[in-house]
Amino acid sequence: MADDPNRRLIDARGKACPGPITDLSLAYRRSKVGDVFELWATDPGIRPDLQAWAKKTGNEIVSVEERDGAIVAVLRIRAR
Amino acid sequence: MRRVVILGGGTAGTLLANSLDHARFDVTVLSRSSEHLFQPALLYVALAHADPRIVRDERRLLSRRVKLVQEQVERVDLLARRVHARGAFHDYDALVVATGARADPSQIPGLSEVAARFGNYHSGVAPAQKLWAALDAFRGGTIAVGQASPICVCPPSPLEGVLLIDRLLRRRGLRDRSRLVFFTPHPRAYPAEAIDEIVAPLLKARGIELRTFFDVDRVDPKSWAIGSIEGERIDCDLPVIVPPFAGAEIAYEPASVLDDDRFVHADRNSLRIPGVLGAFAVGDAADLPTSKAGAGAHLQAMVVAEQLAGREATFDGRTHCAVDLADGTGTFVVSSYASPAVRYPPSRLKHLMKMLMGRVYWLSLSGRFEPLFDRYFHWTAPERLGASALRHAEKAAARSGS
Ligand SMILES: Cc1cc2nc3c(=O)[nH]c(=O)nc-3n(C[C@H](O)[C@H](O)[C@H](O)COP(=O)(O)OP(=O)(O)OC[C@H]3O[C@@H](n4cnc5c(N)ncnc54)[C@H](O)[C@@H]3O)c2cc1C
Repeated sequence: MADDPNRRLIDARGKACPGPITDLSLAYRRSKVGDVFELWATDPGIRPDLQAWAKKTGNEIVSVEERDGAIVAVLRIRAR
Repeated sequence: MRRVVILGGGTAGTLLANSLDHARFDVTVLSRSSEHLFQPALLYVALAHADPRIVRDERRLLSRRVKLVQEQVERVDLLARRVHARGAFHDYDALVVATGARADPSQIPGLSEVAARFGNYHSGVAPAQKLWAALDAFRGGTIAVGQASPICVCPPSPLEGVLLIDRLLRRRGLRDRSRLVFFTPHPRAYPAEAIDEIVAPLLKARGIELRTFFDVDRVDPKSWAIGSIEGERIDCDLPVIVPPFAGAEIAYEPASVLDDDRFVHADRNSLRIPGVLGAFAVGDAADLPTSKAGAGAHLQAMVVAEQLAGREATFDGRTHCAVDLADGTGTFVVSSYASPAVRYPPSRLKHLMKMLMGRVYWLSLSGRFEPLFDRYFHWTAPERLGASALRHAEKAAARSGS
């Protein structure tokens, strides 16, 4: 899956205000159904935000894990 | 003498040009316009009918030793170190891109029609006056306020907009006859939690409906209904929409220095454009992981000035955005790469500081007051404010516990 052509890396590590959720919205705006995002963030606030985002938009959180001191979330676009 | 070419005579470009040692550098500012607009005041021109004289002659803001050329830059060859403007070219030893961000309603269907009919407060004096005329004529119904895209110059400005409109409607006795909706692509009223804790209760108290995760997808140019990517819709009579933003329409060689929205890639600390020599990007024009706002543009300009002078300097991602809460108080969004936005209790003094900025701004561009700004930013660093907020909270907890 790492070389999935539809997979898009969003690197929001160390992002100051307004934060990583902005990058996610921006990527969502340019996405199509079936796209996969790999979001890297260091702001712990991203966890609850992702849950709320997935619930609201109907998209899927494939996984959320900690790697190299960052939070790495894999998301699949199911609706837009 | 080393030739420094600065693209854009706005906040960052003007301060930087004035801050360089003119005995050592031959400084040229290339700017599309000879007018310099104090953008934060657009908010008050559009929403409070403030004096629209918020523009000054750029020539008079620049040191006499800086050359100002009023030209639209069209192409920059970062490899040959040459800037192509309409009809002329300029070679440089060091280049600083400070061309700002431009409101681009064409990105979203229906938004150009909204701008043409109602104006907005992010693209100049005339559109701001147009918005005032629409608000002035409003006699009741629904006003929807929000940003159309996640990228917003001055991130608190959409919120300030809805709060100021609420105040206007109350003053005019129209509030019972109107519904006010605030929409945002973010999960809460303001993306940074510390600020959201202040503003979310205010929206509630003032009866302003909040619609989160609302990414504008289109606006119906007949009914002005606003639709979102998430499939929702807001019906309204008066849409007050902050358009999406994009970087200047300048072609770069190599083209890879631009992101999808034409903002220029820059190292988040050194502000150098990666992969090329002697080029920096600062202010709203740069694709930095921090807010697009005046304080950042100011601090980034100084970081580049230091580096050009041969001293080490890095940008720490600092933000310092004023927020007018429309009740005579205000706060600031203070954060950095290392520190999320801190809780900075609203006060009258902070509001007064925002109001004073309208005067201080013009003086600040000279660069002569830099020692004062330096102290100010030092004493209001997020780490410092965060620690003092913690002390206050602990004291309050100890008091209530005893
Ligand atoms: C409503 C509103 C409220 C705001 N409130 C605040 C606030 O309270 N606090 C705060 O800190 N900031 C605020 N800001 C943001 C602040 O005004 C900007 O972030 C700041 O001016 C950015 O500075 P800059 O130098 O990067 O760009 P700008 O000041 O926008 O300057 C860009 C310059 O580039 C020139 N240019 C563009 N394209 C070309 C080209 N192709 N060729 C030649 N020249 C070109 C332009 O003519 C201009 O001179 C607000 C902005 C708005 C719209």
